[in-house]
Amino acid sequence: MSIQTQLPALRATGRRRGTAQRGEARWTFLLIAVVLAILAVWEAVVRAGLVPEAFLPPPSKVLTAFLALLVEGEFWQAFAFSMGNVVVGLALAIVVGVVVGLAVGWSPVLRFTVAPFLWLLYSTPKVALAPVIILALGLGSESKIALTFLLAVFPILLNTMEGAVTVSPSLVRAARVFGVRGPALGWKVIFPATLPFSLAGIRRGAALGFTGEVLGEFLGGTGGLGHMLEQAAYQFEMDEALAMVVVMVIIANLTLSLIGLLQRKLAPWHDERTAAAS
Amino acid sequence: MALPDIRTPETTERSMTSADTDVGTPLIQVRDLAVHYSHRRTGGSLVAIEDVNLDVTDGEFVTVLGPSGCGKTTFMNVVAGLVAPSHGQVLVDGKPVTGPGPDRAVVFQDYALLPWRTVIDNVRFGLEMQPHLRGTGWRERVQEAIETVGLAGFEQSYPRELSGGMQQRVGLARAIVAEPRILLMDEPLGAVDALTREVMREEIERLITATGKTVLFITHSIEEAILLGDRIVVFKSHPGAVKEVLTTGIERPRSERSIQSDARFLELRDHLWEALRGEATAAATRSSS
Ligand SMILES: Nc1ncnc2c1ncn2[C@@H]1O[C@H](COP(=O)(O)OP(=O)(O)O)[C@@H](O)[C@H]1O
Ligand SMILES: [Mg+2]
Repeated sequence: MSIQTQLPALRATGRRRGTAQRGEARWTFLLIAVVLAILAVWEAVVRAGLVPEAFLPPPSKVLTAFLALLVEGEFWQAFAFSMGNVVVGLALAIVVGVVVGLAVGWSPVLRFTVAPFLWLLYSTPKVALAPVIILALGLGSESKIALTFLLAVFPILLNTMEGAVTVSPSLVRAARVFGVRGPALGWKVIFPATLPFSLAGIRRGAALGFTGEVLGEFLGGTGGLGHMLEQAAYQFEMDEALAMVVVMVIIANLTLSLIGLLQRKLAPWHDERTAAAS
Repeated sequence: MALPDIRTPETTERSMTSADTDVGTPLIQVRDLAVHYSHRRTGGSLVAIEDVNLDVTDGEFVTVLGPSGCGKTTFMNVVAGLVAPSHGQVLVDGKPVTGPGPDRAVVFQDYALLPWRTVIDNVRFGLEMQPHLRGTGWRERVQEAIETVGLAGFEQSYPRELSGGMQQRVGLARAIVAEPRILLMDEPLGAVDALTREVMREEIERLITATGKTVLFITHSIEEAILLGDRIVVFKSHPGAVKEVLTTGIERPRSERSIQSDARFLELRDHLWEALRGEATAAATRSSS
Protein backbone atom coordinates (compact mmCIF):
# COMPACT_ATOMS: atom_id res chain seq x y z
CA MET A 1 0.00 0.00 0.00
CA SER A 2 1.38 3.33 -0.96
CA ILE A 3 0.53 6.90 -0.23
CA GLN A 4 1.03 9.44 -2.94
CA THR A 5 3.53 12.19 -2.38
CA GLN A 6 2.27 15.70 -2.48
CA LEU A 7 3.95 19.07 -2.68
CA PRO A 8 7.59 18.86 -3.76
CA ALA A 9 10.22 19.79 -1.22
CA LEU A 10 11.28 23.39 -1.03
CA ARG A 11 15.03 23.60 -1.29
CA ALA A 12 14.98 26.59 1.01
CA THR A 13 18.34 25.95 2.60
CA GLY A 14 20.13 25.90 -0.71
CA ARG A 15 18.56 29.16 -1.75
CA ARG A 16 19.49 30.82 1.51
CA ARG A 17 23.10 29.74 1.21
CA GLY A 18 23.25 31.12 -2.36
CA THR A 19 22.13 34.53 -1.14
CA ALA A 20 24.63 34.45 1.69
CA GLN A 21 27.43 33.64 -0.73
CA ARG A 22 26.48 36.52 -3.00
CA GLY A 23 26.51 38.83 0.00
CA GLU A 24 29.91 37.54 1.06
CA ALA A 25 31.27 38.09 -2.44
CA ARG A 26 30.24 41.73 -2.26
CA TRP A 27 32.10 42.17 1.03
CA THR A 28 35.18 40.44 -0.33
CA PHE A 29 35.15 42.86 -3.27
CA LEU A 30 34.91 45.84 -0.93
CA LEU A 31 37.71 44.45 1.21
CA ILE A 32 40.03 44.06 -1.78
CA ALA A 33 39.24 47.63 -2.88
CA VAL A 34 40.06 49.00 0.59
CA VAL A 35 43.32 47.03 0.81
CA LEU A 36 44.40 48.23 -2.64
CA ALA A 37 43.61 51.83 -1.67
CA ILE A 38 45.69 51.53 1.51
CA LEU A 39 48.59 50.01 -0.45
CA ALA A 40 48.43 52.85 -2.98
CA VAL A 41 48.47 55.51 -0.25
CA TRP A 42 51.31 53.70 1.54
CA GLU A 43 53.39 53.53 -1.66
CA ALA A 44 52.74 57.21 -2.39
CA VAL A 45 53.58 58.36 1.15
CA VAL A 46 56.93 56.52 1.18
CA ARG A 47 57.86 57.62 -2.35
CA ALA A 48 57.10 61.24 -1.46
CA GLY A 49 59.63 60.89 1.35
CA LEU A 50 57.14 61.56 4.16
CA VAL A 51 58.33 58.40 5.97
CA PRO A 52 61.91 57.13 5.90
CA GLU A 53 62.07 54.04 3.71
CA ALA A 54 64.34 52.27 6.20
CA PHE A 55 61.46 52.15 8.72
CA LEU A 56 58.64 51.54 6.30
CA PRO A 57 59.58 50.11 2.93
CA PRO A 58 56.93 50.64 0.21
CA PRO A 59 54.68 47.74 -0.85
CA SER A 60 56.64 47.30 -4.07
CA LYS A 61 59.81 46.57 -2.08
CA VAL A 62 57.93 44.20 0.20
CA LEU A 63 56.64 42.37 -2.85
CA THR A 64 60.17 42.02 -4.22
CA ALA A 65 61.37 40.65 -0.87
CA PHE A 66 58.41 38.27 -0.78
CA LEU A 67 59.22 36.86 -4.22
CA ALA A 68 62.88 36.53 -3.21
CA LEU A 69 61.83 34.51 -0.15
CA LEU A 70 59.96 31.99 -2.29
CA VAL A 71 63.15 30.88 -4.04
CA GLU A 72 65.22 30.75 -0.87
CA GLY A 73 66.01 27.31 0.62
CA GLU A 74 66.31 28.74 4.13
CA PHE A 75 62.75 30.04 3.92
CA TRP A 76 61.28 26.68 2.98
CA GLN A 77 63.23 24.99 5.76
CA ALA A 78 61.77 27.47 8.24
CA PHE A 79 58.33 26.95 6.69
CA ALA A 80 58.58 23.16 7.09
CA PHE A 81 59.77 23.52 10.69
CA SER A 82 56.92 25.85 11.70
CA MET A 83 54.16 24.00 9.87
CA GLY A 84 55.37 20.63 11.12
CA ASN A 85 55.13 21.84 14.71
CA VAL A 86 51.72 23.44 14.13
CA VAL A 87 50.33 20.26 12.58
CA VAL A 88 51.56 18.05 15.43
CA GLY A 89 50.43 20.47 18.14
CA LEU A 90 47.06 21.02 16.51
CA ALA A 91 46.49 17.29 15.95
CA LEU A 92 47.14 16.64 19.65
CA ALA A 93 44.86 19.52 20.58
CA ILE A 94 42.05 18.18 18.37
CA VAL A 95 42.23 14.66 19.79
CA VAL A 96 42.44 15.81 23.42
CA GLY A 97 39.96 18.67 22.94
CA VAL A 98 37.27 16.56 21.25
CA VAL A 99 37.57 13.52 23.52
CA VAL A 100 37.71 15.47 26.79
CA GLY A 101 35.11 17.96 25.53
CA LEU A 102 32.65 15.17 24.70
CA ALA A 103 33.23 13.41 28.02
CA VAL A 104 32.88 16.54 30.14
CA GLY A 105 29.93 17.87 28.13
CA TRP A 106 28.05 14.61 28.24
CA SER A 107 28.65 13.59 31.85
CA PRO A 108 26.91 15.86 34.37
CA VAL A 109 29.32 14.72 37.10
CA LEU A 110 32.39 15.72 35.10
CA ARG A 111 30.67 18.91 34.01
CA PHE A 112 30.10 20.11 37.54
CA THR A 113 33.52 19.09 38.82
CA VAL A 114 35.94 19.59 35.91
CA ALA A 115 34.36 22.31 33.76
CA PRO A 116 34.99 25.22 36.18
CA PHE A 117 38.71 24.45 36.14
CA LEU A 118 38.71 24.29 32.36
CA TRP A 119 37.14 27.75 32.14
CA LEU A 120 39.69 29.02 34.67
CA LEU A 121 42.58 27.60 32.59
CA TYR A 122 40.99 29.00 29.44
CA SER A 123 40.95 32.52 30.86
CA THR A 124 44.56 32.25 32.09
CA PRO A 125 46.85 34.06 29.62
CA LYS A 126 48.86 31.08 28.43
CA VAL A 127 51.26 33.39 26.62
CA ALA A 128 52.64 34.22 30.05
CA LEU A 129 53.62 30.56 30.39
CA ALA A 130 55.75 30.66 27.23
CA PRO A 131 59.10 31.47 28.95
CA VAL A 132 58.52 28.73 31.49
CA ILE A 133 57.72 26.21 28.77
CA ILE A 134 60.81 27.16 26.80
CA LEU A 135 62.92 26.80 29.93
CA ALA A 136 61.44 23.41 30.64
CA LEU A 137 61.34 21.96 27.12
CA GLY A 138 64.28 23.69 25.47
CA LEU A 139 64.72 25.63 22.25
CA GLY A 140 63.72 22.82 19.88
CA SER A 141 60.37 21.71 18.48
CA GLU A 142 59.01 20.39 21.78
CA SER A 143 58.46 23.78 23.37
CA LYS A 144 56.77 25.10 20.19
CA ILE A 145 54.48 22.08 19.93
CA ALA A 146 53.58 22.48 23.59
CA LEU A 147 52.70 26.16 23.11
CA THR A 148 50.64 25.41 19.98
CA PHE A 149 48.81 22.66 21.83
CA LEU A 150 48.19 24.78 24.91
CA LEU A 151 46.75 27.67 22.94
CA ALA A 152 44.70 25.50 20.56
CA VAL A 153 43.23 22.95 22.95
CA PHE A 154 40.94 25.18 25.00
CA PRO A 155 38.77 26.62 22.26
CA ILE A 156 38.39 23.11 20.80
CA LEU A 157 37.64 21.53 24.16
CA LEU A 158 35.22 24.19 25.39
CA ASN A 159 33.38 24.43 22.07
CA THR A 160 32.99 20.65 21.94
CA MET A 161 31.75 20.69 25.54
CA GLU A 162 29.16 23.36 24.76
CA GLY A 163 28.10 21.34 21.73
CA ALA A 164 27.69 18.15 23.75
CA VAL A 165 25.64 19.98 26.38
CA THR A 166 23.26 21.35 23.78
CA VAL A 167 22.62 18.09 21.91
CA SER A 168 18.87 18.07 21.39
CA PRO A 169 17.19 15.95 24.10
CA SER A 170 14.60 14.93 21.54
CA LEU A 171 17.30 13.28 19.40
CA VAL A 172 18.56 11.42 22.45
CA ARG A 173 15.00 10.29 23.25
CA ALA A 174 14.52 9.08 19.68
CA ALA A 175 17.81 7.19 19.85
CA ARG A 176 16.73 5.48 23.07
CA VAL A 177 13.39 4.51 21.57
CA PHE A 178 15.17 2.77 18.70
CA GLY A 179 17.51 0.90 21.04
CA VAL A 180 20.62 3.08 20.78
CA ARG A 181 22.49 3.01 24.11
CA GLY A 182 25.97 3.34 25.59
CA PRO A 183 28.87 3.75 23.15
CA ALA A 184 26.50 3.58 20.16
CA LEU A 185 24.70 6.65 21.49
CA GLY A 186 28.01 8.53 21.62
CA TRP A 187 29.05 7.42 18.18
CA LYS A 188 25.71 7.69 16.35
CA VAL A 189 24.23 10.77 18.02
CA ILE A 190 26.42 12.78 20.40
CA PHE A 191 29.53 12.90 18.22
CA PRO A 192 27.87 13.91 14.93
CA ALA A 193 25.59 16.37 16.71
CA THR A 194 28.63 17.98 18.32
CA LEU A 195 30.86 17.94 15.24
CA PRO A 196 29.90 21.43 13.96
CA PHE A 197 30.80 22.90 17.36
CA SER A 198 34.12 21.04 17.41
CA LEU A 199 34.94 22.30 13.92
CA ALA A 200 34.21 25.89 14.93
CA GLY A 201 36.52 25.36 17.92
CA ILE A 202 39.19 23.83 15.69
CA ARG A 203 39.03 26.88 13.46
CA ARG A 204 39.71 29.18 16.40
CA GLY A 205 42.23 26.78 17.87
CA ALA A 206 44.21 26.64 14.62
CA ALA A 207 44.57 30.42 14.52
CA LEU A 208 45.64 30.56 18.16
CA GLY A 209 47.94 27.56 17.76
CA PHE A 210 49.78 29.22 14.88
CA THR A 211 50.22 32.30 17.07
CA GLY A 212 51.65 30.04 19.78
CA GLU A 213 54.16 28.57 17.34
CA VAL A 214 55.40 31.96 16.11
CA LEU A 215 55.53 33.28 19.66
CA GLY A 216 57.63 30.30 20.75
CA GLU A 217 60.05 30.91 17.89
CA PHE A 218 60.28 34.59 18.82
CA LEU A 219 61.03 33.96 22.45
CA GLY A 220 63.66 31.33 22.02
CA GLY A 221 64.30 29.32 18.96
CA THR A 222 66.70 28.28 16.32
CA GLY A 223 64.36 27.81 13.42
CA GLY A 224 60.98 28.54 11.94
CA LEU A 225 59.20 31.47 10.35
CA GLY A 226 59.01 33.42 13.61
CA HIS A 227 62.76 33.05 14.06
CA MET A 228 63.37 34.26 10.51
CA LEU A 229 61.14 37.25 11.08
CA GLU A 230 62.98 38.09 14.28
CA GLN A 231 66.34 37.83 12.49
CA ALA A 232 65.20 40.10 9.67
CA ALA A 233 63.88 42.70 12.10
CA TYR A 234 67.07 42.44 14.17
CA GLN A 235 69.20 43.11 11.08
CA PHE A 236 66.89 45.96 10.16
CA GLU A 237 65.80 44.33 6.88
CA MET A 238 62.32 45.77 7.10
CA ASP A 239 61.27 44.66 3.61
CA GLU A 240 62.04 41.01 4.42
CA ALA A 241 60.42 41.32 7.85
CA LEU A 242 57.22 42.67 6.31
CA ALA A 243 57.34 39.98 3.64
CA MET A 244 57.45 37.40 6.46
CA VAL A 245 54.38 38.99 8.01
CA VAL A 246 52.63 38.68 4.64
CA VAL A 247 53.59 35.00 4.54
CA MET A 248 52.06 34.46 7.97
CA VAL A 249 48.86 36.25 7.04
CA ILE A 250 48.57 34.03 3.98
CA ILE A 251 49.19 30.84 5.97
CA ALA A 252 46.65 31.81 8.63
CA ASN A 253 44.00 32.67 6.05
CA LEU A 254 44.56 29.53 4.00
CA THR A 255 44.24 27.43 7.16
CA LEU A 256 41.01 29.15 8.16
CA SER A 257 39.52 28.76 4.66
CA LEU A 258 40.52 25.11 4.61
CA ILE A 259 38.76 24.47 7.91
CA GLY A 260 35.78 26.52 6.71
CA LEU A 261 35.61 24.24 3.68
CA LEU A 262 35.79 21.24 5.99
CA GLN A 263 32.92 22.65 8.05
CA ARG A 264 30.69 22.96 5.00
CA LYS A 265 31.72 19.51 3.78
CA LEU A 266 31.39 17.59 7.06
CA ALA A 267 28.49 19.48 8.62
CA PRO A 268 26.36 20.87 5.80
CA TRP A 269 23.24 20.65 7.99
CA HIS A 270 24.64 23.17 10.42
CA ASP A 271 23.44 26.76 10.26
CA GLU A 272 26.29 28.88 11.58
CA ARG A 273 24.06 31.79 12.43
CA THR A 274 22.15 29.75 14.99
CA ALA A 275 25.26 28.17 16.49
CA ALA A 276 26.54 29.51 19.78
CA ALA A 277 30.06 28.60 18.71
CA SER A 278 32.48 31.48 18.71
CA MET B 1 -24.38 16.83 30.65
CA ALA B 2 -24.92 13.10 30.67
CA LEU B 3 -24.60 11.12 27.47
CA PRO B 4 -24.86 7.51 28.49
CA ASP B 5 -25.00 6.31 24.90
CA ILE B 6 -21.58 7.74 24.20
CA ARG B 7 -19.75 6.73 27.30
CA THR B 8 -18.46 3.23 27.36
CA PRO B 9 -17.22 2.25 30.78
CA GLU B 10 -13.81 0.57 30.81
CA THR B 11 -15.15 -2.55 32.45
CA THR B 12 -17.77 -3.23 29.79
CA GLU B 13 -15.20 -2.76 27.07
CA ARG B 14 -12.76 -5.15 28.66
CA SER B 15 -15.22 -7.93 29.40
CA MET B 16 -16.63 -7.63 25.91
CA THR B 17 -13.24 -8.02 24.32
CA SER B 18 -12.18 -10.98 26.37
CA ALA B 19 -15.49 -12.69 25.68
CA ASP B 20 -15.16 -12.05 21.96
CA THR B 21 -11.57 -13.03 21.33
CA ASP B 22 -10.80 -15.19 24.33
CA VAL B 23 -7.34 -13.63 24.54
CA GLY B 24 -7.60 -12.74 28.19
CA THR B 25 -5.14 -9.90 28.66
CA PRO B 26 -5.14 -6.67 26.65
CA LEU B 27 -1.91 -5.78 24.84
CA ILE B 28 -1.34 -2.63 26.89
CA GLN B 29 -2.45 -2.39 30.51
CA VAL B 30 -1.98 0.81 32.44
CA ARG B 31 -2.41 0.31 36.17
CA ASP B 32 -2.78 3.15 38.73
CA LEU B 33 -0.12 5.10 36.89
CA ALA B 34 1.28 8.28 38.41
CA VAL B 35 4.29 10.40 37.43
CA HIS B 36 5.70 13.12 39.67
CA TYR B 37 8.39 15.43 38.36
CA SER B 38 10.71 16.86 40.97
CA HIS B 39 11.85 20.39 40.36
CA ARG B 40 15.53 20.66 41.16
CA ARG B 41 15.48 24.40 41.72
CA THR B 42 12.40 24.76 43.90
CA GLY B 43 12.78 21.36 45.52
CA GLY B 44 9.03 20.84 45.08
CA SER B 45 7.37 18.24 42.93
CA LEU B 46 4.75 18.39 40.21
CA VAL B 47 2.10 15.75 39.74
CA ALA B 48 2.07 15.34 35.96
CA ILE B 49 -0.41 12.43 35.86
CA GLU B 50 -2.23 10.52 38.54
CA ASP B 51 -4.42 7.41 38.80
CA VAL B 52 -4.34 6.62 35.11
CA ASN B 53 -5.92 3.28 34.23
CA LEU B 54 -6.39 2.09 30.69
CA ASP B 55 -6.53 -1.11 28.69
CA VAL B 56 -5.75 -1.22 25.00
CA THR B 57 -6.50 -4.38 23.05
CA ASP B 58 -4.39 -5.72 20.23
CA GLY B 59 -5.05 -3.87 16.98
CA GLU B 60 -6.92 -1.03 18.59
CA PHE B 61 -6.42 2.62 17.59
CA VAL B 62 -6.74 4.76 20.70
CA THR B 63 -6.55 8.54 20.52
CA VAL B 64 -5.62 10.54 23.60
CA LEU B 65 -7.20 13.98 23.67
CA GLY B 66 -6.60 16.80 26.10
CA PRO B 67 -5.48 20.40 26.52
CA SER B 68 -1.76 21.05 26.39
CA GLY B 69 0.12 20.50 29.64
CA CYS B 70 -2.29 17.86 30.91
CA GLY B 71 0.31 15.09 30.83
CA LYS B 72 -0.34 13.36 27.51
CA THR B 73 3.33 13.28 26.53
CA THR B 74 4.28 12.12 30.00
CA PHE B 75 1.77 9.30 29.75
CA MET B 76 3.06 8.23 26.36
CA ASN B 77 6.67 8.43 27.51
CA VAL B 78 5.93 5.95 30.28
CA VAL B 79 4.42 3.53 27.76
CA ALA B 80 7.47 4.10 25.52
CA GLY B 81 9.76 3.32 28.46
CA LEU B 82 11.38 6.76 28.41
CA VAL B 83 9.98 7.88 31.77
CA ALA B 84 9.78 5.67 34.85
CA PRO B 85 6.46 5.71 36.71
CA SER B 86 6.42 7.17 40.21
CA HIS B 87 3.57 4.85 41.07
CA GLY B 88 1.76 2.00 39.32
CA GLN B 89 2.94 0.40 36.13
CA VAL B 90 2.40 -0.23 32.45
CA LEU B 91 2.26 -3.80 31.17
CA VAL B 92 2.82 -4.65 27.53
CA ASP B 93 1.85 -8.18 26.62
CA GLY B 94 1.62 -8.88 30.35
CA LYS B 95 5.20 -7.79 31.11
CA PRO B 96 6.03 -4.57 32.96
CA VAL B 97 7.69 -1.88 30.87
CA THR B 98 11.18 -1.11 32.18
CA GLY B 99 12.58 0.71 29.16
CA PRO B 100 12.22 1.15 25.41
CA GLY B 101 11.86 -2.03 23.37
CA PRO B 102 11.53 -3.19 19.78
CA ASP B 103 7.82 -3.92 20.34
CA ARG B 104 7.14 -0.15 20.59
CA ALA B 105 8.12 2.70 18.29
CA VAL B 106 7.48 6.41 18.68
CA VAL B 107 6.60 9.15 16.20
CA PHE B 108 7.60 12.50 17.71
CA GLN B 109 5.89 15.85 17.35
CA ASP B 110 9.22 17.53 16.42
CA TYR B 111 10.13 14.64 14.05
CA ALA B 112 13.47 14.11 15.88
CA LEU B 113 15.29 13.15 12.68
CA LEU B 114 19.08 13.04 12.57
CA PRO B 115 20.00 16.08 10.44
CA TRP B 116 23.27 14.53 9.23
CA ARG B 117 21.54 11.49 7.78
CA THR B 118 19.70 11.18 4.49
CA VAL B 119 16.10 9.93 4.39
CA ILE B 120 17.19 6.35 3.76
CA ASP B 121 19.68 6.42 6.65
CA ASN B 122 17.18 8.04 8.97
CA VAL B 123 14.68 5.27 8.23
CA ARG B 124 17.42 2.67 8.71
CA PHE B 125 17.96 4.13 12.19
CA GLY B 126 14.68 2.40 13.12
CA LEU B 127 16.17 -1.07 12.65
CA GLU B 128 19.93 -0.81 12.91
CA MET B 129 20.07 -1.71 16.60
CA GLN B 130 18.14 -4.91 15.99
CA PRO B 131 20.58 -7.70 15.16
CA HIS B 132 18.09 -9.84 13.25
CA LEU B 133 17.00 -6.95 10.99
CA ARG B 134 20.14 -5.00 10.26
CA GLY B 135 21.86 -7.75 8.26
CA THR B 136 21.14 -8.55 4.63
CA GLY B 137 17.72 -7.47 3.51
CA TRP B 138 17.65 -4.23 5.48
CA ARG B 139 17.74 -2.28 2.24
CA GLU B 140 14.49 -3.87 1.02
CA ARG B 141 12.77 -3.27 4.35
CA VAL B 142 13.85 0.37 4.42
CA GLN B 143 12.82 0.89 0.80
CA GLU B 144 9.42 -0.64 1.47
CA ALA B 145 8.83 1.65 4.44
CA ILE B 146 9.89 4.67 2.39
CA GLU B 147 7.47 3.72 -0.36
CA THR B 148 4.68 3.08 2.12
CA VAL B 149 4.84 6.66 3.39
CA GLY B 150 5.12 8.02 -0.15
CA LEU B 151 8.71 9.21 -0.08
CA ALA B 152 10.06 7.22 -3.02
CA GLY B 153 12.50 9.42 -4.93
CA PHE B 154 13.60 11.29 -1.82
CA GLU B 155 15.88 8.57 -0.42
CA GLN B 156 19.02 10.70 -0.70
CA SER B 157 17.50 13.96 0.56
CA TYR B 158 18.43 15.46 3.89
CA PRO B 159 15.70 16.41 6.39
CA ARG B 160 16.43 20.12 5.96
CA GLU B 161 15.54 19.77 2.27
CA LEU B 162 12.06 18.44 3.09
CA SER B 163 8.85 20.17 4.16
CA GLY B 164 7.49 19.51 7.65
CA GLY B 165 4.94 17.03 6.36
CA MET B 166 7.58 15.09 4.47
CA GLN B 167 9.89 15.08 7.48
CA GLN B 168 7.11 13.52 9.51
CA ARG B 169 6.67 10.88 6.81
CA VAL B 170 10.31 10.01 7.44
CA GLY B 171 9.53 9.82 11.16
CA LEU B 172 6.63 7.51 10.38
CA ALA B 173 8.73 5.30 8.09
CA ARG B 174 11.41 5.03 10.77
CA ALA B 175 8.78 3.95 13.28
CA ILE B 176 7.21 1.24 11.10
CA VAL B 177 10.36 -0.12 9.44
CA ALA B 178 11.05 -2.66 12.19
CA GLU B 179 7.35 -3.59 12.33
CA PRO B 180 6.68 -2.94 16.02
CA ARG B 181 3.38 -4.14 17.44
CA ILE B 182 2.70 -0.79 19.04
CA LEU B 183 2.95 2.66 17.52
CA LEU B 184 3.07 5.62 19.89
CA MET B 185 2.38 8.92 18.18
CA ASP B 186 2.77 12.17 20.09
CA GLU B 187 0.88 14.90 18.22
CA PRO B 188 2.62 13.80 15.02
CA LEU B 189 0.74 16.34 12.90
CA GLY B 190 0.88 19.17 15.43
CA ALA B 191 3.73 20.98 13.67
CA VAL B 192 2.55 20.22 10.13
CA ASP B 193 0.71 22.84 8.07
CA ALA B 194 -3.08 22.61 8.04
CA LEU B 195 -3.55 21.34 4.49
CA THR B 196 -0.90 18.63 4.77
CA ARG B 197 -2.30 17.67 8.17
CA GLU B 198 -5.70 16.79 6.68
CA VAL B 199 -4.14 14.72 3.91
CA MET B 200 -1.85 12.88 6.31
CA ARG B 201 -4.64 12.12 8.78
CA GLU B 202 -6.42 10.10 6.14
CA GLU B 203 -3.20 8.44 5.06
CA ILE B 204 -2.41 7.42 8.62
CA GLU B 205 -5.95 6.10 9.06
CA ARG B 206 -5.63 3.90 5.96
CA LEU B 207 -2.06 2.84 6.65
CA ILE B 208 -2.62 1.82 10.25
CA THR B 209 -5.91 0.03 9.76
CA ALA B 210 -4.33 -1.96 6.93
CA THR B 211 -1.43 -3.14 9.08
CA GLY B 212 -3.52 -3.82 12.16
CA LYS B 213 -1.10 -2.12 14.53
CA THR B 214 -2.01 -1.07 18.02
CA VAL B 215 -1.79 2.70 18.27
CA LEU B 216 -1.74 5.33 20.98
CA PHE B 217 -2.22 8.61 19.16
CA ILE B 218 -1.97 11.85 21.09
CA THR B 219 -3.67 14.95 19.79
CA HIS B 220 -5.34 18.12 20.94
CA SER B 221 -7.58 18.23 17.88
CA ILE B 222 -11.11 16.99 18.43
CA GLU B 223 -11.68 16.19 14.74
CA GLU B 224 -8.43 14.24 14.59
CA ALA B 225 -9.29 12.25 17.69
CA ILE B 226 -12.66 11.20 16.23
CA LEU B 227 -11.45 10.62 12.67
CA LEU B 228 -8.66 8.27 13.76
CA GLY B 229 -9.75 6.62 16.98
CA ASP B 230 -11.61 3.43 17.75
CA ARG B 231 -11.72 4.92 21.21
CA ILE B 232 -10.97 8.37 22.55
CA VAL B 233 -9.35 8.82 25.94
CA VAL B 234 -10.06 12.33 27.22
CA PHE B 235 -7.48 13.72 29.63
CA LYS B 236 -8.07 16.41 32.22
CA SER B 237 -5.36 18.54 33.75
CA HIS B 238 -4.05 19.45 37.24
CA PRO B 239 -3.27 16.71 37.82
CA GLY B 240 -3.39 14.89 34.49
CA ALA B 241 -5.85 12.03 34.62
CA VAL B 242 -8.36 10.19 32.45
CA LYS B 243 -11.60 12.15 32.42
CA GLU B 244 -13.56 9.78 30.24
CA VAL B 245 -13.23 7.14 27.54
CA LEU B 246 -15.49 7.20 24.48
CA THR B 247 -16.00 4.64 21.73
CA THR B 248 -16.35 6.26 18.32
CA GLY B 249 -18.04 3.41 16.50
CA ILE B 250 -17.77 5.00 13.06
CA GLU B 251 -17.18 2.69 10.12
CA ARG B 252 -13.79 2.60 8.40
CA PRO B 253 -12.39 3.72 6.07
CA ARG B 254 -13.20 7.23 7.21
CA SER B 255 -12.47 10.36 5.28
CA GLU B 256 -12.27 13.98 6.34
CA ARG B 257 -15.16 14.84 4.00
CA SER B 258 -17.60 11.99 4.55
CA ILE B 259 -17.25 12.10 8.32
CA GLN B 260 -18.41 15.73 8.52
CA SER B 261 -22.00 14.66 7.81
CA ASP B 262 -21.92 11.59 10.05
CA ALA B 263 -24.42 12.03 12.89
CA ARG B 264 -22.22 10.15 15.32
CA PHE B 265 -19.26 12.40 14.43
CA LEU B 266 -21.30 15.52 15.15
CA GLU B 267 -22.59 14.10 18.40
CA LEU B 268 -19.08 13.19 19.56
CA ARG B 269 -17.66 16.51 18.47
CA ASP B 270 -20.22 18.50 20.45
CA HIS B 271 -19.69 16.35 23.49
CA LEU B 272 -15.90 16.67 23.32
CA TRP B 273 -16.19 20.42 22.77
CA GLU B 274 -18.12 20.74 26.01
CA ALA B 275 -15.69 18.52 27.86
CA LEU B 276 -12.60 20.36 26.65
CA ARG B 277 -14.11 23.79 27.11
CA GLY B 278 -14.73 22.93 30.74
CA GLU B 279 -11.09 21.91 31.05
CA ALA B 280 -9.79 25.02 29.36
CA THR B 281 -11.95 27.29 31.53
CA ALA B 282 -10.83 25.50 34.66
CA ALA B 283 -7.19 25.88 33.64
CA ALA B 284 -7.64 29.58 32.91
CA THR B 285 -9.30 30.19 36.28
CA ARG B 286 -6.53 28.32 38.04
CA SER B 287 -3.72 30.21 36.36
CA SER B 288 -5.33 33.60 37.00
CA SER B 289 -5.88 32.97 40.70
N1 LIG C 1 10.90 16.56 32.29
C1 LIG C 1 10.02 17.29 33.00
N2 LIG C 1 10.38 17.83 34.18
C2 LIG C 1 9.51 18.55 34.89
N3 LIG C 1 8.25 18.80 34.54
C3 LIG C 1 7.81 18.31 33.37
C4 LIG C 1 8.68 17.52 32.53
N4 LIG C 1 7.98 17.16 31.43
C5 LIG C 1 6.75 17.68 31.57
N5 LIG C 1 6.63 18.37 32.73
C6 LIG C 1 5.41 19.02 33.23
O1 LIG C 1 4.41 18.06 33.34
C7 LIG C 1 3.17 18.55 32.88
C8 LIG C 1 2.65 17.69 31.75
O2 LIG C 1 3.48 17.85 30.63
P1 LIG C 1 3.28 17.02 29.29
O3 LIG C 1 3.25 15.58 29.62
O4 LIG C 1 4.32 17.46 28.34
O5 LIG C 1 1.84 17.50 28.81
P2 LIG C 1 1.18 17.50 27.36
O6 LIG C 1 1.93 16.58 26.49
O7 LIG C 1 -0.24 17.09 27.59
O8 LIG C 1 1.23 18.92 26.86
C9 LIG C 1 3.42 19.99 32.46
O9 LIG C 1 3.01 20.83 33.53
C10 LIG C 1 4.89 20.07 32.25
O10 LIG C 1 5.38 21.35 32.56
MG1 LIG D 1 2.90 16.98 24.62
